[in-house]
Amino acid sequence: GPDVTTQDLKPAGKENPSNVSVYEIVLSGVSGSPLERNISVASPTKVELSCKLDKNSQIKNPQVTWKKGSDTISHTTKSENSWSIQVTILDSSQLGSYSCILKGKQEISAVFHLQVPKIEGKDKPIITYEGDAAVMVCKTDYIPIAWTWYMTNGSKQVAINDSMPAKKYVINRQSANATRLKVLQLTKEDGGLYWCEATFQLGKSKGKLELKVLSIMAPLKPFVAIVAEVVIFVTTIFLYEWYSKKKEKRAGDEREFDQIERL
Amino acid sequence: MGAVVADDGPSGVKAPDGGWGWAVLFGCFIITGFSYAFPKAVSVFFKELIREFGIGYSDTAWISSILLAMLYGTGPLCSVCVNRFGCRPVMLVGGLFASMGMVIASFCTSIVQIYLTAGVITGLGLALNFQPSLIMLNRYFDKRRPLANGLSAAGSPVFLCALSPLGQILQHEYGWRGGFLILGGMLLNCCVCGALMRPLEPPKKPEATKEPAEKKVKKKLLDFSVFKDGGFVIYALAASIMVLGLFVPPVFVVSYAKDLGYPDTKAAFLLTILGFIDIFARPICGMVAGLKWVRPRCVYLFSFAMIFNGFTDLMGSMSVDYGGLVVFCIFFGISYGMVGALQFEVLMAIVGTQKFSSAIGLVLLAEAMAVLIGPPSAGKLLDATERYMFVFIIAGIEVTTSALVLALGNFFCIKKKIDEPHTKEEAAEREELNKSEDKTPEDAKVDSIEVEQFLKDEPEKNGEVVTNPETCV
Repeated sequence: GPDVTTQDLKPAGKENPSNVSVYEIVLSGVSGSPLERNISVASPTKVELSCKLDKNSQIKNPQVTWKKGSDTISHTTKSENSWSIQVTILDSSQLGSYSCILKGKQEISAVFHLQVPKIEGKDKPIITYEGDAAVMVCKTDYIPIAWTWYMTNGSKQVAINDSMPAKKYVINRQSANATRLKVLQLTKEDGGLYWCEATFQLGKSKGKLELKVLSIMAPLKPFVAIVAEVVIFVTTIFLYEWYSKKKEKRAGDEREFDQIERL
Repeated sequence: MGAVVADDGPSGVKAPDGGWGWAVLFGCFIITGFSYAFPKAVSVFFKELIREFGIGYSDTAWISSILLAMLYGTGPLCSVCVNRFGCRPVMLVGGLFASMGMVIASFCTSIVQIYLTAGVITGLGLALNFQPSLIMLNRYFDKRRPLANGLSAAGSPVFLCALSPLGQILQHEYGWRGGFLILGGMLLNCCVCGALMRPLEPPKKPEATKEPAEKKVKKKLLDFSVFKDGGFVIYALAASIMVLGLFVPPVFVVSYAKDLGYPDTKAAFLLTILGFIDIFARPICGMVAGLKWVRPRCVYLFSFAMIFNGFTDLMGSMSVDYGGLVVFCIFFGISYGMVGALQFEVLMAIVGTQKFSSAIGLVLLAEAMAVLIGPPSAGKLLDATERYMFVFIIAGIEVTTSALVLALGNFFCIKKKIDEPHTKEEAAEREELNKSEDKTPEDAKVDSIEVEQFLKDEPEKNGEVVTNPETCV
């Protein structure tokens, strides 16, 4: 099946009246690389992170510690076979990696990464042509407060704002969670990396896009080559047909001539 | 030439069954490939179009629908053009249209312009190429016609396998504009195929050279008399029902696999299996259909292929793992190939050379509605029930129903008897005399397959009788 270790974890489906999302990792007791989960948090909220021990596991009554980075968290709750903590996220300092460590005969652990939502850019470069317009779209699953676009000038990232020529860049908010940058009248220099940055209540997140600007000549060369090939083939076929018709006619005339001769 | 029908498919000519026919077959192969694989190749660019024009997925799906509508719906128009101008000019013009449509599309600035260029113009061009190519194939092959049909139909899966990765590469290297431009260039090769379609001329006899225009029997631009042929009506009806469900499983099998939890590459591999088997199933089925004892009953072989296909769909609806889907794809590939190889061969056998140009146009038009309704309604069904099982079941039911319509219709409505050569002779003579006057409906019931074969077997007797009623002794 698909690889689930780095999937974005959605809430386990339990929503308490106080609107706390619960995220759970089930540990099987086989020691290996720690199980990890990425949790996207866009705005201040309360989350409950819980580590559950699989009933078939050989570890019984382990000693459980919760850590954020290297600091131990004291306020933990235990129920049956699961240990959990409640995290109130108010600003970016509460984001990070929270791990639960179960010490028995072996030590197994799981890590929750609380982070700002990832931005979907484009991994493959966008191909456009000189004189054309390029459209770049960034999407995310959550609703950011604001979007900012950056273009790379050499090695620096330059923000695209009102200081830029108005006829060149058009930014509009395509929907609540998507932004669109349109670059008009493209030239070769417009190619390169572009960044879209989403500002959430809890922090900023960037997505990367690459723009490639080609000249019209690029696709035109193969096109002309194909057209030439077609013209050559068609001419050859028609010439061959005309030639074989002539041959047949000559053969037919000769046969007639022979017939008349015999008579 | 005037207003008289220029292309009446000279039946006085014996089908070469080889020679230049192989070049015609090659051209047919390529054109079949382009016609069926092109909508799929264009769909590779849809994601980019969605981003650039800010439209939704269903807006881009219109491009495929328009292409299909033009390919199928302009059938009668193509028949009229072929009957009026002849096959080769129509094909050359068609190739130019198809190419021009894509080239202009690469410069478009709105999605509606793309509908009109890549959709309407290219679709029309492809249609103007596809139909005449089948007509020419029918004229060049007679004894080996089932094999020829199977081989040329193999063009569809071969091009499907080739054009998809090519489309991806073009999109990666040149974006959608450059990709459309180059695809337009490639479509120009349809003109090369059109150039290969040398018209067949009746052997020149010394007396015949004196008679130019009047020897040609006046033929309608679109021959609706095919509707009087019961076999044709049954075929058209069965084909329309079949097309409702035939193309649905390949469209949904990949998403079915993904739905079961398998990764993208594994799911896409299913289609590769299907296509690969299809490539070989078609010519092999063509060879089988050409066997002496199979050929007169090829309508029933066609029904069998459809029942096989429907049965595969029903079995496939119950598959729950990857192995089941692989088995489904293998058997679906075989049955789909058989259907593809036989569909036009059976039509050619039913209506004969003379009327094929009109018949195929009408059949394609009848199928047009079904082709446009089939896959989208399956999609709606999927959205409503969220179960892939029902989609496959419905497709299977539709294809099986059409098989039953075809088989039972032929069994009960058409009296098929394998006659002795003497009675065949009588029937043939009656047929020919009636051809020069208006054809009476009863004679249409004469077993056209036997007559066709008989006509082709004795060209010398044939040549004078049909084309020259005045000199008929």
